[in-house]
Amino acid sequence: MALSLQFAVSTPRQASLEISKLTPGYIASSLSLRSPSASSLHSLGTSSGIAGAVKKSSRRWRAAKTVAMAAAANEVSNRKVLIVNTNSGGHAVIGFWLAKDLVAAGHEVTVMTVGEESSDKMKKPPFSRFSELRDLGVSTVWGDPKDVGAAVGGKSFHAVLDNNGKDLDAVKPVVDWAKSQGVEQFLFISSAGIYKTSDEPPHVEGDPVKVDAGHVGVEDYISKSAFKFWSSFRPQYMTGSGNNKDCEEWFFDRIVRDKPVPIPSPGIQVTNIAHVSDLSSMITLAIGKPSASNATIFNAVSDRAVTFDGLVRLCARAAAKEAKIVHYDAKALGIDAKKAFPFRNMHFYAEPRAAKEKLGWTSSTNLSEALKERYEEYIKIGRDKKDIKFEIDDTILSKVG
Amino acid sequence: MQATDRTRLRTQAVRRVSIVTTASSDTPTKKILMMGGTRFIGVYLARLLVKAGHEVTLFTRGKTPVTQKIASETDQEYAEYSSKVKHIQGDRQDFDGMKSKIASAGFEIVYDINGREAVEVEPIIDAIPSLKQYIYCSSAGVYLKSDLLPHFEVDATDPKSRHKGKLDTEALLQSKGVPWTSIRPVYIYGPLNYNPVEEWFFHRLKAGRPIPIPNSGLQITQLGHVKDLADAFVRVLDNPTAFGQVYNISGAKYVTFAGIARACAKAGGFPTPELVHYNPKDFDFGKKKSFPLRDQHFFTSIEKAKNDLGWSPKYGLVDGLTDSYNLDFGLGTFRKAADFSTDDMILEKLGIKVAVPA
Repeated sequence: MALSLQFAVSTPRQASLEISKLTPGYIASSLSLRSPSASSLHSLGTSSGIAGAVKKSSRRWRAAKTVAMAAAANEVSNRKVLIVNTNSGGHAVIGFWLAKDLVAAGHEVTVMTVGEESSDKMKKPPFSRFSELRDLGVSTVWGDPKDVGAAVGGKSFHAVLDNNGKDLDAVKPVVDWAKSQGVEQFLFISSAGIYKTSDEPPHVEGDPVKVDAGHVGVEDYISKSAFKFWSSFRPQYMTGSGNNKDCEEWFFDRIVRDKPVPIPSPGIQVTNIAHVSDLSSMITLAIGKPSASNATIFNAVSDRAVTFDGLVRLCARAAAKEAKIVHYDAKALGIDAKKAFPFRNMHFYAEPRAAKEKLGWTSSTNLSEALKERYEEYIKIGRDKKDIKFEIDDTILSKVG
Repeated sequence: MQATDRTRLRTQAVRRVSIVTTASSDTPTKKILMMGGTRFIGVYLARLLVKAGHEVTLFTRGKTPVTQKIASETDQEYAEYSSKVKHIQGDRQDFDGMKSKIASAGFEIVYDINGREAVEVEPIIDAIPSLKQYIYCSSAGVYLKSDLLPHFEVDATDPKSRHKGKLDTEALLQSKGVPWTSIRPVYIYGPLNYNPVEEWFFHRLKAGRPIPIPNSGLQITQLGHVKDLADAFVRVLDNPTAFGQVYNISGAKYVTFAGIARACAKAGGFPTPELVHYNPKDFDFGKKKSFPLRDQHFFTSIEKAKNDLGWSPKYGLVDGLTDSYNLDFGLGTFRKAADFSTDDMILEKLGIKVAVPA
């Protein structure tokens, strides 16, 4: 079987990483390399001639890479996959992108969203865009995790992903149903929030976790449920079209209105903002390579950290505006940082090492690019004109003086 | 990026499809010239190379003894090493003199551990036309400061950095057509470290003093054990995968400034230290350094070296610092005597009294 694939390689690093991960069988097949185009590489600051800065990925590159990676060295193809998807929150968008990537990789996809199709929640993205999934042949159904069988009818699946529950109460019924149906591969969207804090970033797979966390109980239960294959994915924060929960919007809201951006001191806390396609490509690979991904926990994140201050700067650049950062000591001012700021007020940074090592996955998140795309959408939907109250900001700014 | 750079990198990427090699254990013996080799990195690297059967010559001014027994080796191991390793005395800043001393020795490999400027490197390459590989100790200090970390080898470098000479050297190596490899360490630590990284913390821990940390102590950096670095240097030897490549070499995990203080305490069996935070801008320390590390996030990804060289650090941070403590500071040896003058300035301004042990 001769495979002819285009590798849209826009960076030398990606070229070397991807090529070094090709299996001998794949190398035997024909491979054509597209050289990086001038428009996709540009230097930030002068280089010594060795390598300039990397400007990665457009949507087209991500799509091409996903298909290429899924096809290269797959163990299985044409899987029937069920995604049990949450109806709200930061993780909702994962199922939307994953369904598309799975179809592109040749799999048959059903998305079961928790709740009712008629619910108000379905008016928000990504659910409001589910016609895009149906156009691709994805089956979209609604139902109760306690009775998945009723929602999916008599359908059988090779792989089931729970992208809904945070604890055993919510996930156990799905796990038990899948087991009873002879599902081969069970996958779970967990959370990198379960890692214990440490003096030594990053959080890597295998690091100690908070044993009482709901997600930990779920991972444990899945690992002991004797599926042929199982994996767990621990995400952090995501950006991407169709997101259900604000991420970068919090920053755009302030920057576009020329309001100061209050950042909890010192502003050098690091976090990880992945483009959701990093997660969908990772999970797609795991489904295509069940042996490689079996019994493995994956940090489902990008491979770069960004500081809070850095994120403000990147958002400002995306909006082509100046931003004013105001640092504040949340504790000293009696401010609840959880309400005042969208990210955990601490270093919270995991790296996707297992995915790179076991799946040959590479990150394609380019936060600069992603934020520019998100800003364009932000303006397109008219959110810059929205009347927003900044009560907590005003409190902070008045206290900082 | 220039078209030639893209082509070169793409060609290398393509070539690496068919060559997945690491330095093989049956590599024939090489004649190796090491610039330096008597102070820190080279002390360990030269030993590994000699043990592997290579003929190693150290080029130094001779200010430091060519060989000294180190705490972790037996008398016999030291006797073996010191009898085999060779030495050329000379000044690498005297280019003509240096060239004449190294020209006809038939060196095949150069390990340049202490080169700073490109002008120092060119004469060496010119003097050895049959050179098979130039292996250079560069620095992760060449990376341009960024809001997105860690630094990967492809990231932008800073032509204005203090380590500009290292960048210029890498560019020179590329232009000379000789196979070359450049290693970019972050902060190196381990027994015999002459840069007061762990030593700075150990002095304060031993004295039972609070540890002054600039600003929040949340700054993230990366420490790499010198023995892991030496191992990486060995793995690039005669390794075609490594030709024309730069590699970040450091620890598997990063660490905050506050975390380093706590790790050093664990390593030396000291109680958890009191940390005192101060704003360096509130002080004028003159020429003295109040803290041994640059006040910013500074860490790199080592995954390229792991993928290409099959290398991975053997020391975790606390393990590695314990090794350093047990074989150096804990034995009563250090390079720089304790100097708490900047600490005292900080503590005085913050109104903190130091309890002096009786």
